[in-house]
Amino acid sequence: MKNKIKIFRAMHNLTQEHLAQAIGVNRQTILAIEKEKYIPSLDLAFRISRYFGVNIEEIFIFDEKTPVLVPS
Amino acid sequence: MKKNTFYLIGGSIALALLVVFWYSVELHNPLFIEIAFIAGIALAYLARRKVTGIINDERDVKIGEQAMMRTMQVFWVVFCAFSIGAVMQILYVPTFPRPPAGSPPPILLGSRMIGYIQLGLLCLMIFLYVGFRIYYARKYGDFETDEE
Repeated sequence: MKNKIKIFRAMHNLTQEHLAQAIGVNRQTILAIEKEKYIPSLDLAFRISRYFGVNIEEIFIFDEKTPVLVPS
Repeated sequence: MKKNTFYLIGGSIALALLVVFWYSVELHNPLFIEIAFIAGIALAYLARRKVTGIINDERDVKIGEQAMMRTMQVFWVVFCAFSIGAVMQILYVPTFPRPPAGSPPPILLGSRMIGYIQLGLLCLMIFLYVGFRIYYARKYGDFETDEE
């Protein structure tokens, strides 16, 4: 799961610390998400996107290479 | 409560437990240390809930969960295997080939040694948990350096 948090942060002139405080997580969590070491829960992903006032798909990009099981 | 206050309380509880342990040994009564240990841990949990300024977010919870799950997966097998052996020895389960009639059953480990080893295994579990916690913290980006 790729994301554009860093870009959005830069656009809004926000530090990781500020963003973390605003959405109620640790700064290390924001760093881990930006570095794609941690995939946030749907709840946290929505909170991040709502904070920037955009849709979730604009920040988080689903990796199409990941196999998806389609129900038959 | 600040984080440092909590650490001071934790240290005080540990010291108090050491004193009770010594007292318990002197009196040959394990009940004191058993009750004190449970009370001490309960007190530590209560104090932990009063600490402010710690954000325990979903990533921390996930790291804790994964570390504990892996620890239990390893620990219960080792602990159970040892305990089964100990119980077999305590219950004098017959061995094969059977010892000659009238001879005492072979004792590999005394009851005291079994207790020591079980306590040692429990201590080992703490190290195992810390090891897994470091592993998962690293996996989920705890030691990543900042580019800001």
